[in-house]
Amino acid sequence: MLEFERVFFGYEGQSATLKDLSFAIGEGEFVALLGENGAGKSTLCRLANGLLKPSAGRVLALGMDTKQVKTSLLARDIGFLFQNPDRQICQNSVRAEILFGLEIALADEAARRARCEEMLELFSLSGERDPFGMSRGERQQIALASVLARAPSLLILDEPTTGLDYRECMAIMGIVAQLHQKGTTILMISHDMEIVADFAGRALVLSEGGLIGDGPVRRIMRDEALLGRASLLPAQIPALGARLGGPYAEAFSVEELLSLAVGKKGEKERAEA
Amino acid sequence: MKGILDYVPGSSFLHRLNPLVKLLLAFVLCAACFVTGNHFIVLGVIALNLALALSAGILGRALRMLRSLLKLSALLFLVQIFFVREGATLLALPLGICITDLGLSFSLLFVLRLLAAALPLGLMLSVTQTSDIPNVLVRRLGLPYQYAFVLGTAIRFIPLFAQEMAGIMEAQTARGVEFDTGNFFKKVALLLPLCAPLLVSSVRRIEGGAISAELRGFYLRGRKSGYKDYPFALRDLCALLGGACALALAVLF
Repeated sequence: MLEFERVFFGYEGQSATLKDLSFAIGEGEFVALLGENGAGKSTLCRLANGLLKPSAGRVLALGMDTKQVKTSLLARDIGFLFQNPDRQICQNSVRAEILFGLEIALADEAARRARCEEMLELFSLSGERDPFGMSRGERQQIALASVLARAPSLLILDEPTTGLDYRECMAIMGIVAQLHQKGTTILMISHDMEIVADFAGRALVLSEGGLIGDGPVRRIMRDEALLGRASLLPAQIPALGARLGGPYAEAFSVEELLSLAVGKKGEKERAEA
Repeated sequence: MKGILDYVPGSSFLHRLNPLVKLLLAFVLCAACFVTGNHFIVLGVIALNLALALSAGILGRALRMLRSLLKLSALLFLVQIFFVREGATLLALPLGICITDLGLSFSLLFVLRLLAAALPLGLMLSVTQTSDIPNVLVRRLGLPYQYAFVLGTAIRFIPLFAQEMAGIMEAQTARGVEFDTGNFFKKVALLLPLCAPLLVSSVRRIEGGAISAELRGFYLRGRKSGYKDYPFALRDLCALLGGACALALAVLF
């Protein structure tokens, strides 16, 4: 689905932002991209959809070399949600905004309308409202709806939950999780380790432009030294589990920790009885 | 990533000039292009700008500025060359269109003036911190801070808007809008719907900035509020004399 082969990248007049990156993301994976500010996460995502071209090495997105293909062509199958929804929104009604992206992807007017209504329903949005007068969370939802309307097979999310309250955050992530279950490949930048622990299956850890960690989120979350190198802390439950030690070290969610604790308590009661 | 008008730190002769002198020098060089009708003088102003850019270590940026104006210059050249009918005909084309020697000369001068006039302002912004421009106008010319702030903010916002526009275009390309097309006219047509997000983000940014400035005593600022002094030195006099010579040459020839 997405492959980086010994990729180097540097902005004009600056030292290399990304150095010798090699990894592959398979179809249907949910990958979290972690790292400190300035580690090169957003640059990596821009390379993945062809907005930036590598200085050396090769990026293959959906089997196509991003250097050989126009970004607008790649965009038909790669959705990109930017951190700032205001850069995406350019129409004065929610419906027009969703249709704007669809006009490029779908030739049939009826199909476009149907897809737009589907998105409005999925996100519980009113089509007639002016996006510029809506809250930040709602604007983020409109931007996501506009991206998802084109049914991309690879979805790149650049800090999708920044600045959102818990309800808005869960609304966005719920829809992303649904998409992932239906087979969409997700690459998500996030600083929120709780979100990463709850939704992602694999994590890539970047630091100073280099890939310092790649593996299942469960393993990465337990590697405090690795996370520390990228100025990150593990999510609360894995951290608590690690401190408690023993069987609790495997706990990754509240439910898992509870079941372990209840199981332990049951064993103790049975032993006492 | 640095924009084409962002400040480039340095300690060159140009960097060390008084900001007021840099501002004056930029206007004098612009004026020199317009008071002369001599192509060679305008070419000389371009060469002087490039030499100044080289001395300040920003020759690459100056050349990028020139390159970014080339398409527009070519378009204006073509428009001008067909509109001027005076002079001896050099090439007669169908539909009564012709290219004359005066048309060619005027179009060339027009384009050279555009290139020569754009460079000094760009160079001045590249070697001057934007906060220094309003501050020196207040401190040295006694301009009320509010007016100087408006000028400084307008200059400061040029690269910010350019960055914002680049971000918006990037976001639209990522959703399939063909900004990566080679067709200039198609690109311009695609830019029109993007005025809305640019306007909205600009108004939001300006509103935020205005509230923030007001909360920090904007209306209390006066001539002596700034901590920086802007003394004049011998180099400033030399630069002004150089500018005056360029202007005199432009007037005389």
